[in-house]
Amino acid sequence: MLSTLELSPQTLDADAPVRIAVKNLDFYYGEHKALKSINLDFRDRHVTALIGPSGCGKSTLLRIFNRIYSLYPEQRATGEVMLDGRNVISNEVDVNELRSRIGMVFQKPTPFPMSIYDNVAFGIRLYEKPPKSELDDRVEGALRRSALWDEVKDKLKSSGMGLSGGQQQRLCIARTIAQKPEVILFDEPTSALDPISTGKVEDLLEQLKSDFTIVIVTHNMQQAARISQYTAFMYLGEVIEFAPTNTIFMNPHKKQTQDYVTGRFG
Amino acid sequence: MTAATDMMTGPAAPAIRKTPKGTFDIVFRNASFIAALMVLVLLAGIMLSMIIGGWPAFREFGLGFVTSSVWDTQNDQYGAWPAIVGTLSTALIALVIGVPLSLGIAVYLTQLAPAWFKQPVSTAIELLAAVPSIIYGMWGLFVFVPLFAAYVQIPLSNIVEGLPIVGTVLYSRSPSGLGILTAGFILAFMIVPFIASITRDMLEQIPSVLRESAYGIGATTWEVVRHVLVPQAGVSIIGAIMLGLGRALGETMAVTFVVGNANRLSASIMDPGSTIASRIANEFNEAMGLQMNALIALGCILFFVTFVVLVIARILVSRVKSY
Amino acid sequence: MSMTTPSTVRALPHAEWGRVRQSRRTADRMMRLTAAGFTFIAIFVLFWILGMLIVKGIGGLSVATFTQITPGPGSEGGGLANAIVGSIVLTFLGIVVATPVGVLAGTYLAEYGKTSKLANLIRFINDILLSAPSILIGLFVYVILVEPFRGYSGWAGGVALGIIAIPVIVRTTEDMLRLVPGPLREAGAALGAPPSVVITSITWRAAKSGMVTGILLALARIAGETAPLIFTALNNNFWFSPTLAGGVSNLPVTIYQFASAPYENWQQLAWAGSLIITMSILLLSLIARRIVRGSK
Repeated sequence: MLSTLELSPQTLDADAPVRIAVKNLDFYYGEHKALKSINLDFRDRHVTALIGPSGCGKSTLLRIFNRIYSLYPEQRATGEVMLDGRNVISNEVDVNELRSRIGMVFQKPTPFPMSIYDNVAFGIRLYEKPPKSELDDRVEGALRRSALWDEVKDKLKSSGMGLSGGQQQRLCIARTIAQKPEVILFDEPTSALDPISTGKVEDLLEQLKSDFTIVIVTHNMQQAARISQYTAFMYLGEVIEFAPTNTIFMNPHKKQTQDYVTGRFG
Repeated sequence: MTAATDMMTGPAAPAIRKTPKGTFDIVFRNASFIAALMVLVLLAGIMLSMIIGGWPAFREFGLGFVTSSVWDTQNDQYGAWPAIVGTLSTALIALVIGVPLSLGIAVYLTQLAPAWFKQPVSTAIELLAAVPSIIYGMWGLFVFVPLFAAYVQIPLSNIVEGLPIVGTVLYSRSPSGLGILTAGFILAFMIVPFIASITRDMLEQIPSVLRESAYGIGATTWEVVRHVLVPQAGVSIIGAIMLGLGRALGETMAVTFVVGNANRLSASIMDPGSTIASRIANEFNEAMGLQMNALIALGCILFFVTFVVLVIARILVSRVKSY
Repeated sequence: MSMTTPSTVRALPHAEWGRVRQSRRTADRMMRLTAAGFTFIAIFVLFWILGMLIVKGIGGLSVATFTQITPGPGSEGGGLANAIVGSIVLTFLGIVVATPVGVLAGTYLAEYGKTSKLANLIRFINDILLSAPSILIGLFVYVILVEPFRGYSGWAGGVALGIIAIPVIVRTTEDMLRLVPGPLREAGAALGAPPSVVITSITWRAAKSGMVTGILLALARIAGETAPLIFTALNNNFWFSPTLAGGVSNLPVTIYQFASAPYENWQQLAWAGSLIITMSILLLSLIARRIVRGSK
């Protein structure tokens, strides 16, 4: 297992500022405590992967950063998630503003029932009223960055639902980056895609990390090893080990981490 | 990375982003909340208006309004008993005829019909539900009633005349074709599409593993339906029947056409009678004073009877699926 | 279920097997025949009614049916122009009343109230209203709109039809919104769109065809309603006033009044009106169903 992992020579800036700082974070589904005192730092313009067996809480953690959990009344979080000097899970931060700063790409592609152009423009229009020409440029820029422009430039007015799964996912990424967020959360973004589309999305992540702070939840350990600089291994609602990706995969300190990355459980 | 891509974002936090359309959010939420409350207001309004509108009649006649058989507009004496009996007996006849038909159709649609035939038959059954009540009335009055009088009422009356019990219940003094039984017949066809399509949905919801395992031990279709599917759908089928009953009780136009609109009570289901709804529809436009109150009081009785039936129906149906 | 015991099977394998299977087979065959027969009866009645309408109604259809107004007692000829236009106006009014209320209430149930106690109560009461006798709704509107204002009016008729349509629209709107996958809402929220924007520009749009179907079904439901109009819009034999005050002529009540009248031209018009209204409603239902199937 270890030998098959291709660890890319990740450039890792140990002095990079921390973009999101998580302190003593607990999370509850009703009575059930799903996350137990999580402490993690996410560095600016680095890719941090969250790995662990199903049900370990990695997606739950991701869904706290943009408070998407607050759509469901029985879910709540306590503790601190600091972004730009504010605790984003407190009510002092406007949830919609927060979400415009922290973008999210979901497991399954979620194109909105509107044209490709409007899908990308939707997020921009929520917060800005740019003139038409500027909006056109922003949409084109976002589609180019998500490597979709050449495939859709002739059918911007047709429905986003008509694209293939891989294209839909890149459309969702375009929609997210068009809003110019600081952080992008990826929740198993390739788990519903075929290998070729997966490759394209991974290339895209590689490109994006120079501009965005990226947090990615993945079940695929090769993927985590290929694209991330930091990795957190979670198990049963706790962070077992958090370290540079090379360390996690080549030289983990904890037995559980080693067992997981070598495929002995999970 | 190049300067161009750098433009996408800066390391520093961008300018403060204002929440868009904050007031619209509140207005929209409240508007939808108020609209939802309207549903409650409507039911309460119907209940209150029936009670208040019918109050003078209830006060005047007391419990006698329900038990009295007199409906005399000359002397302003009103009793609801014949209309109540008419309503219940037409609805009961409708169920006796309509329920087996409906269950047969549901079984046919879910278990027997060839795949290509299912869709057209389903559509036809649903169209039967879309035909307006008044058209059933026209069909009943001009097509069904003459046939019924000639081929059922007259021969049957000749046979049962003088016999005990059936000689009373099935004998028609004036074989016009109009009457309680005719109204029940027409109502049966009006409730069939509702009961049949809900039952069909219930049967379709049963997991196919259950069906397959029953067939797997060698049961015939009939045995699968009788011993596995119907018990499994259970109370929800009763709920569907109650829903049909609710419709039959309040159905107006078709019944008004064929029930004969007689004010007196007869022991024979072949004789003309009236239901609460037909009485209201018939007399409302000429009614004044206490007669108007008496008609609304009839409406009040209809409201509470159908309300109870529908509440039971919904509780039973929702055990499987909220329909 | 009757079952053979293994010992008897071994003793008389052939006779015993055959007899049991025969009775079960017969029962099965009879059930199949009965179910198919019942289905045939229902379909037969549908075509019987349609056939009757065509045979009796087609003779009454002419240009005059659509251009002339309903004739007075004993006068010759006449048409249904005022009744047709009145019916369209009343039905349209009903839908205009019901659509905003129904769509918003359905939205509340699906997007805000969800499984709260209040939402469950509203859902339950709405289901009751869905099958409540339409005559009661007519009486209700009579009490609140006709009696206090001392007169029948098209407005009262429209409101009565609207009240009948509301529960249909509430129900279909909620059902259709619930079919919209949750991640689509999450994706909208994740872009920072407030709930109202997510609902109006994403969820509604995704559920659009289903919601339109609900409105069409409500339209089909109220277009043929007669009983509530007797107490509200009544009818009249002339062109109704543009203010909709006084009675407003409409097809269902015209059919009701003309059908058993002693004038032959009235009866003929009642049949023509029946044909027109039934075909319009069945067509609407078919279109609505086609839309649902197309979107699946």
